[in-house]
Amino acid sequence: MFYCDQYHVPQTLEEAFDLIQTNKGSYKVLAGATDLLPWAREGRGGDVNFESVIDISKITDMSEWQLQGDRISLGANVTIQQLLEDPFLRKHIPVMAKSAVWFADDQIREQATLGGNLVNASPAADATPPMLAMNAELTLQRKYKGKINQRKLPLHEFVTGPGKTRLEDGELVTRVECDSMPGYGSAFEKVGHRRSLVISTVCLAALVSLSDNGRKFEDVRLALGGVGPVPVRLHESESCLISKPVETELINKSADLAVKNVQSRTRQEYRREVVFNFVKRGIIEAMKDIETNYAEVDKNIKPRKNYG
Amino acid sequence: MANFDIQMTVNGRQVSQSVSPHLRLLDFLREELHWTGSKEGCGAGECGSCSVFVDGVLMKSCLMPVAKAQDTIIETIEGLEEQGKLNVLQQAFQKTGASQCGYCIPGMMMAATAALRANPHAGREEIKERLGGNICRCTGYQKIFEATELARDVMNGTLPDDLLKQENDEGPFIGSNSFRIDTSSKVTGSLKYAGDMVMPQMLHMQVLRSPYPHAEILEINTSAAEAMAGVEAVVTCNDVPGIDGFGVFTDDQPVLARGKVRYVGEAIAAVAAEDLVTAKKALKKIKVRYQQLPVITKPEDAIKTGATVIHEDVPDNIVMHIPIRKGNVDKVMAESDHVIEDTYYTQPVEHAYLEPEAGLAYLDADGTLVIQSPSQNITHHRHKLAKILDLPINRVRMIMSAVGGGFGGKEDMHYQGIMALAVLKCRRPIRYVFTREESIIASAKRHPFIIKYQLGLSRDGHIQASRIHMLSDAGAYNCSSEGVMRKAAILAAGPYAIENLIVDAIGVYTNNTPSGAMRTFGAMQSQFATECHLDLCAEKLKMDPVELRLMNFLKEGDETHTRQKLGSVSMLEVFNSALELADWEAGISNSRGSTRSDLGNPGNRPPCTLGAREFPQETVSAGQSA
Repeated sequence: MFYCDQYHVPQTLEEAFDLIQTNKGSYKVLAGATDLLPWAREGRGGDVNFESVIDISKITDMSEWQLQGDRISLGANVTIQQLLEDPFLRKHIPVMAKSAVWFADDQIREQATLGGNLVNASPAADATPPMLAMNAELTLQRKYKGKINQRKLPLHEFVTGPGKTRLEDGELVTRVECDSMPGYGSAFEKVGHRRSLVISTVCLAALVSLSDNGRKFEDVRLALGGVGPVPVRLHESESCLISKPVETELINKSADLAVKNVQSRTRQEYRREVVFNFVKRGIIEAMKDIETNYAEVDKNIKPRKNYG
Repeated sequence: MANFDIQMTVNGRQVSQSVSPHLRLLDFLREELHWTGSKEGCGAGECGSCSVFVDGVLMKSCLMPVAKAQDTIIETIEGLEEQGKLNVLQQAFQKTGASQCGYCIPGMMMAATAALRANPHAGREEIKERLGGNICRCTGYQKIFEATELARDVMNGTLPDDLLKQENDEGPFIGSNSFRIDTSSKVTGSLKYAGDMVMPQMLHMQVLRSPYPHAEILEINTSAAEAMAGVEAVVTCNDVPGIDGFGVFTDDQPVLARGKVRYVGEAIAAVAAEDLVTAKKALKKIKVRYQQLPVITKPEDAIKTGATVIHEDVPDNIVMHIPIRKGNVDKVMAESDHVIEDTYYTQPVEHAYLEPEAGLAYLDADGTLVIQSPSQNITHHRHKLAKILDLPINRVRMIMSAVGGGFGGKEDMHYQGIMALAVLKCRRPIRYVFTREESIIASAKRHPFIIKYQLGLSRDGHIQASRIHMLSDAGAYNCSSEGVMRKAAILAAGPYAIENLIVDAIGVYTNNTPSGAMRTFGAMQSQFATECHLDLCAEKLKMDPVELRLMNFLKEGDETHTRQKLGSVSMLEVFNSALELADWEAGISNSRGSTRSDLGNPGNRPPCTLGAREFPQETVSAGQSA
């Protein structure tokens, strides 16, 4: 059960940092609360008592987004449902909508935030692989000696283990910046025990752009979740395709290179099989997404079984 | 604790109150405002029994600290009725029988409302997906989807609204529609389950449970808990005035652990306090000293010689052994053309009724002890309690509150006795509501079985002899194990005529969570083994599995394995209808003929596919679109 003595709802960052300072050592920050409340139950966090809860979800600056050149800067309070529904975000970071549609359920998506999903650092977080693939960088802010300081950290450096990040005491993730990728085709693959409210057994984000009239891979971005302590970017699988012709053999090789990332404690064999097929399918789906006809490639690529 | 001033509009009424800041929106609605239509099924956002509209958006009120609902407009199921009349969706839920136990309905109806508000023409797949955050354990969802579609079509005018009228057919019950009289209370949220009830001066109870599967209790010290302000009663086994022990068949389970604990989650002591937080804090002050004992986790280990004894009066750990002997199995088995053997395993299963266990207990004006709870066995519980409390039977009254799903899991008197002890100690009304976690930890499960199956068959497929050995994990206490073993044994060999038969159903004590009643009461496990085994035999004999069964079915006038003469047998009719509906393709099951009858027929379902739904592009951007 979740208890608290005080519940604060700051409207600005300044207010939030003041509250953090006044309640040093005894506060808990929450945004959507959709991870915190289920955690504060028997078998997980148990009965937890926070002297002060600081609810940052009403800080409006953190709910907005801007296009800055070829990057998009998203407030950490952007909800998963906004990523799914907002036309501007769907245009610039379409893979987020494809991930969001598999995220929890309609109701939780309305409350859960992008920042919360990243900070919570679940190995199976659905928002992390697409953000890794889009070279996401976090803005971390902290008030020190009366001044708000900030630093930036790439997402892949920020998440260090299950539930572990480089977030320091008194620090807040306020913004998430990532590539704007309107020209890319994208796909998000996810498997779990059921359709809604399911933790990914494996999830994959794929982004592809093509050149040479669709005959060559111009750029490929791949990232994987659910198969190890932290979601990972698949650099080897990517470079095996970048600037190379679109060929079945190369796609197979790229998928093969991804398999070794499976480090889960359970169901390794199954996950290896899924990873191989997800990478292939992700690339194909992303290519289809740019409305190029790859029926021929698609036909030649058969799922492979028994990945020992 | 600094209170939080909260204002909101709930079902059209303005609310302004000062509340504890840790409350969730669900707690605020239920405990402070007594809008108890919205339910708590899991408290973790998984089940959707608490779904409500917050400013027109469907949300899970168990995941929302109440402060987040500041200055919002809340709609709950109680707000659905239109001028005292059921709305179309409510009527549709009634009409299709979508509401069974009713516990998921408050959230489910809100989700269906949200689906039709978002898209008044939503198809079946979209409805399914939009209801994906809500769990129902009774219906299997079909009736809920039908109701939503019916409501959609009536609201869109494509179907006439007289289709919403309830039918109440005359004549025989089978195959006719009859009006379910309790549904209007369920589709409006007005029905009170035990956890919804309150009484003046009511206390809240919490129970301390064992962290160990098997341990001797050396000491229970409750003095610090008793000394706390707000704690009105702390009870242990020492508070039992009569003969301690309950169970469906034998009274082997103490109301609160006596001398030792036998499974993780066994109740040891309980606190009744002015509020839930105080009760929880007091639990932490109860000190128990344990001496851990060797643990039995597998039924095979329980019957080994020298195995640890779990109940001192049952030195062999056998709860119940039901044997059936018929004919001469050894001889006929040896003479059979084929002897086919295999072993089948089934797992424990949690009922996961959406309503966690709950109860309200109090003393009536004349001093009679009254317990309202979703008990599936009130008369039995009343007799047990009278014995435990040393009260005449007329001083104990059990009232069955609405059961938010039971499936057999609410037959055991796991908590009503504890509530009784606490009420008698402090003489104030007490309410106890399990959390989902507590419900899973403490309640009985479906029996896991290990079934060794041996069948002797003739070359043409007649079953000559059968030997079935079933070892079952009864867990730490008997509960319904004795009856489950009986039923498993009686039905073990299936509906087949077998002259020579050996059946053993053996339930044994272990230190696992007790096994108890759950849908089919032991029959499912043995049927699973029998039907799997027959399929295997058909494969080995290169026969059509249908043929094999038809050849061996019991007929009218036959005797069952336990000598019940069968007056009328409709099995063949049922079987043939099933074959027809399934487009059964005759032949050996492990090879395919030239034509397939199981695909492409009008009645066949399309293959399963998964796809994400398309979203309308024309939504308003909430951010700054530069």
